[in-house]
Parts: sequence; structure tokens; C-alpha cells
Amino acid sequence: MHRWHILDLESFWTRLIALRWMGRYADIRHVGYPASAGLVAVSWAAAAFIFHFVQLPDLGIVFLPAVLLSAILWGRGPSLWAAMLSVAISSLLYHPAEGLVEQTAEFIDTILFVGVAIAGSDLAAHIRRQADEATHRETMMAQLYAFSRRLAGIGDPDELFRAIVEHLRAVLRTDVVLLVPVGSELVVAAGSSAAFSPQDKAAAEGLWAGQSARPAELTLLAGWQFRTLRSGRTNVAMLAAHDGGGFRDSKVLRDYLDSLLDQAAVAIERTQLARAYEDARVRAKTESLREALLNSISHDLQTPLASIVGSATALQSFEGLYDSEARGELVATIREEAERLHHIIGNILDLTRIKAGDISPRLEVVELSDIMNAALRRTRRSLADHQLAVLIPADLPMLRLDLFLMEHALVNLLENASKYAPKGTRIEVAARVEDGNMLIDVTDSGVGISSMDMERIFDRFVRAATTDARPAGSGLGLTICRAFVEANGGHVEAYSLGPGKGATFRIRLPVPEASASLDTAVHDE
Amino acid sequence: MNERHETILVVDDEPQIRRFLRTSLAAHGYGVLEASNGADALRLASSERPDLMVLDLGLPDSDGLDVLKGLREWSHMPIFILSVRQAEAEKVKALEAGADDYVTKPFGTAEFVARVKSALRRRVQGAPGEPVFVVGGLQFDLARRVVTIDGAEIHLSPKQYRLLQMLVQNAGKVVTHEQLLREIWGADHTEDVQYLRVFVRKIRNKIEADPARPRYLLTELGVGYRLRAPDQLPDA
Repeated sequence: MHRWHILDLESFWTRLIALRWMGRYADIRHVGYPASAGLVAVSWAAAAFIFHFVQLPDLGIVFLPAVLLSAILWGRGPSLWAAMLSVAISSLLYHPAEGLVEQTAEFIDTILFVGVAIAGSDLAAHIRRQADEATHRETMMAQLYAFSRRLAGIGDPDELFRAIVEHLRAVLRTDVVLLVPVGSELVVAAGSSAAFSPQDKAAAEGLWAGQSARPAELTLLAGWQFRTLRSGRTNVAMLAAHDGGGFRDSKVLRDYLDSLLDQAAVAIERTQLARAYEDARVRAKTESLREALLNSISHDLQTPLASIVGSATALQSFEGLYDSEARGELVATIREEAERLHHIIGNILDLTRIKAGDISPRLEVVELSDIMNAALRRTRRSLADHQLAVLIPADLPMLRLDLFLMEHALVNLLENASKYAPKGTRIEVAARVEDGNMLIDVTDSGVGISSMDMERIFDRFVRAATTDARPAGSGLGLTICRAFVEANGGHVEAYSLGPGKGATFRIRLPVPEASASLDTAVHDE
Repeated sequence: MNERHETILVVDDEPQIRRFLRTSLAAHGYGVLEASNGADALRLASSERPDLMVLDLGLPDSDGLDVLKGLREWSHMPIFILSVRQAEAEKVKALEAGADDYVTKPFGTAEFVARVKSALRRRVQGAPGEPVFVVGGLQFDLARRVVTIDGAEIHLSPKQYRLLQMLVQNAGKVVTHEQLLREIWGADHTEDVQYLRVFVRKIRNKIEADPARPRYLLTELGVGYRLRAPDQLPDA
């Protein structure tokens, strides 16, 4: 049984009226006639029973309940049928009309019966209709609620447009197209109909441009009904429903549609605002990053250049003043600073590539020692002042890597170690396999990393504080290292026992399983 | 000092590069010719017949590769190419078009001059003439087809021997992956670089004291392999 909150239909009678007893399983009209005849038969039996004991002059009244019940349960047709049967039976069998008075009485009876039949069935039908409408309204309300909840959960504008169009198409049972403004024209955001031609779109744009502050206008143009969705005072979108859609139906449906479209408009505005906010946020962030990058580049390039120009001009101008040792030092400075410049420029170029999303790794099956040796060769001068220990076993499995990205990453780790470890101290490079991963460790006994800095060291432009006069790098080395290692499917982690206690940087790379089979596949006769 | 007075042709469009190369090479006793474009390079090469050419791949008027190919049609002089880092494909193409070695900018003059000397010395010695090649503890007897390391003979499969032989015949110079693959496995296998790597690992396991840090059979990352010439050993 439904609960009828709206009409408060709690009484037995109205429940009965609303009941579609027997009508549920068959067409009412087919069931009603024999059923009402059945009721009449029952009344007849009752009448006969009463007549047996009391010879009532007018037994017509016994048939009245049957007629009324027929009217309530099965409608006008069957109840009129029941009325006719009742009149026939009661007058013919129990009350044959002899005189005019009796015939008039019979006539009045007939009218009464028919009247009851008609009135009863009409009343019942009316109540039933109201009950149906109440159910329908309740269903629509539930749908509207579900719809607005669903809309509230969607963040992506395209998904939102699709959801709106889908729902409206189901409600209106026709093709629906949603148009949103992009710049000065309207663009189809969701829903597509072959029948929505460019002329229709132009008509929509015309309407859109002509929109004033008037609320949702309904306009019919060339087989399409257009309706503007507004949120507050802003027009956010335009809806087009194909020819004869539900815009024109009952008031209930129109109200429902209004609520639906209001929800849709609000949701659309919400996503548009969210997007505008996000764009502004990203722009601001890019600006500040660009700012930081320019500052960093400027500083990091000027510093070594200053040493180079200084040393070179000294050699030029005051040539006779220097002995060979002093000359040697100046020249060494020029060389070292130039190499530092080279390294920094390389890092900046890498960073630009990373930001442009331009790291497409070319993965090949490679020998780790090849990459490691190339990286060591490149950093030989920087590592010359340290004790280098290389612990790489001979039979490590081959890895699937991009040669140059990984070489770069290793060079950056080695440069880092040489920068932050005091001269003469030990720098160790080791590799081993553990749990299907290759672990490559670069360990130094230098300034170490505090637990606070641990999370930030891979960020851009973060440098450790150095106490000696050696300038720190651009702060990009580790960022690039991480980006390149991750492009190869690996991870970089840093470990340190604290400031002054050195650090280990670990690259973890997956070991491909095909390595073993590659060995045997080599044609080696 | 250089008694033979060999001449070196330097081809680069940047005057600064030509300047420091000229200065350093002249200081070592070499005669230096200069050209700033491909046309002049070819002209000077044929008229002056230098003993070695240093060629920049990024010339303005022509593709350095074309100059190289043009030259190789009639000359066997050693040619070094200058290129920038991460132009590996370019380097490989040049090596396969006949260049002997490549130098990546920026480069140190000392290493550069050492390589020039080494290339000229090899040329004078006449490469394929020597039947026995020795570098450090590695001895390669081409006539008897015997390879020993620190006196002990090692067994190599035919393909392994062939690879080492190619590297020995080009000792000190880079041989590209493709050249090795084509020569040993045939033209259909020039893409199978990973097989080559596994192969080289097996050879290194036999001839190197520490295969992870090879002394003789070196990798030129992304380009190919090189067997060190005796004068290229670190302690030479």
C-alpha cells in the first residue's frame, strides 16, 4: 500500500477506490462486466433470501450496493450494466409493474440506479486520478532530488553536460541538444542530433544574443524548442528540444522541468566558476615559477662568468706579475668555472624539456655498468678531489632504460655528492639487486640532510646551505634526477642520519623479467 | 716536436673554435689549415692534401655529412668530427659514413691533441699490417687466431672472435653498433642492439679483470664500442 502524504488518503474507502482490484491483471473493461454481473447475482441471492422471510414491496434497494461497488471498482460501463441488470431483475421478478404508479416508481428506481452508477463511477475515477497524480508528483520529486544530487557530485563540465542531456532526453522523450557559450558564439556541448542543423544553431545564437533580463524564455523555431538556462541573472546555457517535446505538457511537468533546468543551470555555472578559478590559480603558479627560474638562471650563470672574466682579464692585463703557479691557478679557475657553467646550462635545458613534457624515453635493454662508467667519465674532474669507490658487481641483470636520461640522473647525483662532501672524503657508488629491483646507491659523508629538508630536497630551487665558499648549484639537479628516473619507471629516495652525517641517494629500478631469456636467445655460434 | 711536419685541416664556422685549435695544434708542431665552410674544406683537402681533418658537423652551407661522404670518395685521411652532446644519431651516421672518431663539444684540448697524435701515428704504422696486436695484457694474434689475456689463452666462439677482430682492426676508434651487427650477424639484424650488448658482456667476462669497469673493451654510450689502442691506456 502506498502512503499518501499529499492527499492524506488514509480512509478505507479511498484506499478501496485507489485499488485496482482485479483490474491489475486484466483489462478492466473485460473483467468488469462479468464481475459486476456476479455481484448482481449475489444481490439477487440476498434478495431472494430476504424475500423468503419478509415480503418487501421494493427490493430494488438490495441491488444498490452492487451497483455502487461496480462503479467504484470497475467504472462507468460495468456499473451501468449492473444497474440495468438490477432493475431488470428486481422489477421483473419481484415487482412486476402493473399500474401507472408502480411503473413510475419503477422508472424512478431506474433513474436512481443509473444516477448512482454514473455518479459513483465518476467520483471514483476522479479520486483515482488525483491519487495517480500524487504518485506521479512524488516520483518526479524523487527523480529531481536524485538528479540534483548527481549533478552536485560531478566536477567535470563535459560529464555534467552529458548527464543533463541524458536526463532531459528521458524526461521529455525527445532529442535534446545543450549549447554553451564559448566567446561570442554557442557551441554544442552535449547531445547530438542529426536534425540540429547549422541554421538551427544560428537561430539559437540569434536568440541568445537577443536575450534580455527576462527569465527563461520558451521559443519555438523550425521544429526545435529553445529554452535558456539561467542562474541568478546570468544566462549559462541554452537547451534545444526537438519538436513536440515535453515543454508543452501539463503544468506539473512544466514545474518539474523548471526545477530541473534551474538545477542544471546552477550546476553549469558552478563548473564554469571552478574552471575559471583553476585557470587563474595555475597561471599565478606558472608566473611565480617562471620568476623563480629567471632569478635562478641569472644568478647561477653570472657567478661562474664573473670568475671566468675576472681570471682571464687578470691574465691579460697583469701578465708579467704572475709566476707560473699563480698563472696556473687562474687558468684552473677559468676551466672549473666554465665546466660548472656547462653543467648548469645542461640542467636548465633539461628542466625546460621536463616542463614541456618532452621526456619521451627511448627504452632499450642496457648494461648498467655502461651507463655508470659514462657518468663517472663525465664527472671525473669533479670527483678528482674525493676518494671514489665503485662497487658494481660484474653480473648484474640488464635493465630496460633510456641511456641518456639515466646517465644524466647519475651525473646529477655524482655532482651533488662532490659538491656537498668535503674534499678527501669517500664517495661510494654501489649497485645490487633486491626483490626484483635494482638498487643504485650514491653515498657521501658530507653535509647530510635534516629531516625537515628531506621532503623538499627534490623540489625545484631548493639547495642545502653550504658553510664553505663553494657556491651551491642551481637547485635543479635533484629535481631533474627524479624526473628522469621516474620517466624510466623508477624511484629516487634520499636517506640521511642527519646534518653532518652524510647522505645516500638511492635509485630503484625494476628489473625486467625477460633478462634471463635474452641471454639464451643470443645467437652465438 | 713534430719533425714530419704534418698538416691538419680544421673546418668549423666558429672563429673562436678555429682559433684555439690552431693555437694548440701549432704549438705541437703541426701545420694548420682552416676552412669555415664545406666548399672550402673540399677544395683545400684536394689541393693541399692534409694528413688529418677536423670537421664540424654543424656547418652553415652544407651538411657536414655530405662533406664527409664527398671526401671519402677519394681520401683515406683520418677525419675527426666535432659535434654537440646528445646528437648521438648524428655521430653514428658520421662514423658510418667514414669518420674515424668524434669529439663532443666542449672538449679539453689535451685529450683532443692526444687523440690526433694517436690517429696520425696509427696511420703511419699502417693498420692491417701488424699480425699481433697488443694492448696492456691483451694479445691478439690475427695470423694464428689466438687471443691471450695476461699470458693465458682464452677460448672465443667464432662470432666472439669476429667481433674482437673488428674492434682490433679499428683499434682506438669507435665502431658503431650497426657496423658490428651487420658484419657479424648480417644486414637483417642491424636493429638488435640488445643482443650485441649481451654478447659484449660475455666477451668482457672473458678478457676483463673487472667486467663492470672495462679496461680494454669500452662502450661509447649510444654509439658503439671501442677497443683501446695502446697509447690510450690510462697509465700509458
